Amino acid sequence: MGHSSGMPKVFITGLGFITSIGNDATTVGDSLRALRHGIVRYPPFDHPSVPVKVAAPVREFQTEAEDCEDWTLPARYRVRREVLRSLGPGSLYAHCALLQAIEDARLTDADVSNDGTGLYAASAGSPGILTRHVTRMHEQGVMRCPPLGIVASIAGTVQFNLVAHFKIKGASTGFSSACASSSHAAGFAHDEIALGRQHRMFVIGAEDGNVETILPFAGMRALSLNPDPDTASRPFDVARDGFVGTGGATVLVLESEAEVRRRGVTPYCELLGWGQASDGHNVAISHPEGAGLAHAMRRALQASGRTTAEVDHINAHATSTPIGDISECRALHAVLGAEAARVAVSSTKALTGHGLSLAGAMETGFCALALRDGFIPGSAHIHQLDPACAGLNIPRVTRPTAPRVVLNNSSGFGGANVCLVLQRA
Amino acid sequence: MPEPALPVAPSVGKTFPPEAEAAIRDSLKRCSSSTIEAAVGYRRDGDTRHLPAIIIGIVERFVEPDLRARLGTGDDDLRFVEDLGIDSLTMMEIVILVEEVAQLQIPNDDLRNLRTLSDVKTYIDCRARGLPPPKPSKFFAIEDLVALMPVQPPFLFLNEASVSAASASGKYKITGQEFFLQGHFKDNPVMPASIMLEALGQLGVLHLLAGHVVAEPGKVVGSGTIFFTGCEGVRAHRVCKPGDVLTLSIKPKRMKLPLATFEGSVRVGQEKAVMAEEITLTYGYVEAVVPVVALPPAETNGVGPNGANGLNGVNGSAHDPHDAPVTGRV
Repeated sequence: MGHSSGMPKVFITGLGFITSIGNDATTVGDSLRALRHGIVRYPPFDHPSVPVKVAAPVREFQTEAEDCEDWTLPARYRVRREVLRSLGPGSLYAHCALLQAIEDARLTDADVSNDGTGLYAASAGSPGILTRHVTRMHEQGVMRCPPLGIVASIAGTVQFNLVAHFKIKGASTGFSSACASSSHAAGFAHDEIALGRQHRMFVIGAEDGNVETILPFAGMRALSLNPDPDTASRPFDVARDGFVGTGGATVLVLESEAEVRRRGVTPYCELLGWGQASDGHNVAISHPEGAGLAHAMRRALQASGRTTAEVDHINAHATSTPIGDISECRALHAVLGAEAARVAVSSTKALTGHGLSLAGAMETGFCALALRDGFIPGSAHIHQLDPACAGLNIPRVTRPTAPRVVLNNSSGFGGANVCLVLQRA
Repeated sequence: MPEPALPVAPSVGKTFPPEAEAAIRDSLKRCSSSTIEAAVGYRRDGDTRHLPAIIIGIVERFVEPDLRARLGTGDDDLRFVEDLGIDSLTMMEIVILVEEVAQLQIPNDDLRNLRTLSDVKTYIDCRARGLPPPKPSKFFAIEDLVALMPVQPPFLFLNEASVSAASASGKYKITGQEFFLQGHFKDNPVMPASIMLEALGQLGVLHLLAGHVVAEPGKVVGSGTIFFTGCEGVRAHRVCKPGDVLTLSIKPKRMKLPLATFEGSVRVGQEKAVMAEEITLTYGYVEAVVPVVALPPAETNGVGPNGANGLNGVNGSAHDPHDAPVTGRV
C-alpha cells in the first residue's frame, strides 16, 4: 500500500462505463457536470406489494429474459452465444465496458494478453440466475440444469468469464467485501503494479442491478421508499430515507509509468495509493463515529505521501441512508479537521444510486474524469442539508475547478472501509 | 398384447397434456419448426421415427451458423467436436435438451461414447424403444494401436481409430517421412493407392480384433490369423501428398468364418481419395487368454471419467469434485 520513492507509479489510462448515467466516458462526464441522474420508476417494482418504486437501471440493454439469447444489447456490441451463455447481466455489462476500456486505453491484443497483465473484478454474482438454476434443479432434476449455470451466477462470474474471453494471462481474482469490493480490487491491483508483479491491471466492478440484486435490501430497510426519481437518492439531505439500487459495470485500466511511457499514452490521473481499515463494530451498521473509515483515509493519505491540505475533493461513499451518511461526515471531520470547510465533498450516488460491488470502481472512474477534465461534481438533490452534515463543504452544483488530489471512499458490510487516493497526472 | 404397428417408445405417448406441449415448444423455440413438430409428434404417438429429425434439429440449433450446412449433407459420420465445432459444454447443452424432449436420462458413461451423429441417433433410438444401447465405439490412440495390432511402424498407417460393431474409422497424416515416398515418385512424393488400401485393410484388422466379432465360447480372433485375401471395385479419386490427413472408414458387409468383407473409403476432408466396394480379410480363432489387467480405452474428449450421476459439487457426495464432468475446474 506504500508510496515510497523507487516504487513504480500507477496511472489510470483507460475507462469503460455501462452505467445508469451513460454507456461511455463522454456521456458519463456530461451527466456528472450537468448533474443528470439515471433514476427512474422501475417497472419490475410496479407490483403493489413492493414498497420500493425507483431504481437506476442501465439503458439500451434488455437482460430481464430468462434466456440470455432473448437479451438485447446496443448495436455496437456483438457477443457470440458461446460467450453469452456463461454471462449474467453484470458480466455482460463488464464485457462491454472492458471492450470500451481497451479501446480507450489504445491497447493492442498483445497488450491485453500477456503474463504482465492481470484482471481483478468485483461483483455479487448473479442472484437472479442462481435462483432460477436452483429452482430448475429442484423442479426438473439435478441433471437438467444448464451446464454453465454455476459459472454464470456465482460471485466470481465476472472474472471467470472475462479472464477467459479476453485471454488474460496475469494475476486474476475477485473481491467480495460488498460495497467496498471494487475499491479493494483497485487497491490490490495498484499494489500488483507498485510491487512490480504486473505492469497492467484491469479493475472491474459490476452488478446486475435488477430485482434480485436490489430488492433484498428492502428487508433490511436500506432502500428509499420515495417514489420520486428526482429526489429518492439525496445523500446528506435531511429527508433522505435510504439508497436507490443500480447496476452496470465500470472498468479501469491501471498501468505502470514504464508502460505509459512505452505506449506514449496520456493518462487520466495517477492512482497514488490506498488504505483500508475495518470498523469491528456491526455486520451491517456503520460505526457511529465512522472510526474505520477515518482510519482508512488516514492510512491512504500516509501511504500516498499526501496531506489533507493537498486534497481538493472527496467522492464520498454516502449512499443516502440516514445512519451511513452521518457516520461518514463524522469520519470526514475527524480526518480533515480545519480543512473540512475547504475540501469539496460530494456523493455522486445522488445521480447513480448505489452500485454495491460496482460502486468503488464506478466512482473511481468518475474521479478520473474529474481529474482529467478539471471539474468537481456537485452533490445533487440536497434541498435541506442535514444539520448532522454541517461544517463540510458540500457543493450543490458541479464546479469547473480542477482538483489536484482526490479521495474516493467506499464502505461495505462487516464494516470494511477503503479509501483510494488519486492525483492529477 | 399385440405387437404395435409402429416402433413406439414405451416411455412416452401415454399422456401428453397441453402444458407439456407448451413446455416442449418453449424449450425448442430456437429450433426449426420441423424439429418442434417432430418433438410434439414423438411425445404424442411415441413413434421413434421422429427421433432423427429431433436430434438433427437440436444439434443444428447449437452449431455455429457457418458450420450448419454440414448437417444438411446427411453424413451421419460427422463428429461433434472435430466436424461440428461443438465443445464438451455445448454437448452437455444438447444432451439436456434431448433428455428433456425425449424424456430419458443419458448417463455420463454413455455420453462419453457418443462422438458422431450416428452414435447419438442409434443410442437415443435404442433407449427410446427400451432396448439395450449398442456397444459403444471404442477409441484407440496410437499407443493402443501399437499394443493391439500385428502390423507395426513403419508399416502401420493409422494414427488413431474408433471402432463400433457397425463401423470403424481412423486417421492417418501423411508426414512425408514415409520411407517409400523417397521413390514414389522421384522428387514428387505421392501416397501410393495400394498403401491407402493397406490402411483400410489395417482398419479391418482392428475391427476384427476389437471384440465385436461373436466368436465360439472361449475363443477370440487371433491377431496372427488375419490376412488379406482380395478386393473389388477399387477406385482412386485424388492424389494424396505429405500434409494430407486421411480419414479412413470401413463398414462390415459380411462376416462368416473364415472371411470378413468390408466396404471402405479414404477421404481428405470432404474429398474422396480412394473407394473400395469390398475388401476381404481371412481370419481365425484362437483360445481366449484371460487378461490380467483390462486396459480401458483412452478418453476421447473433454468429458471426464466420472461415472456417477453427476451429483458432484451439488449434494456434497463422497466424489471428489475435481472429478466432475466437463470442466474439471470446479
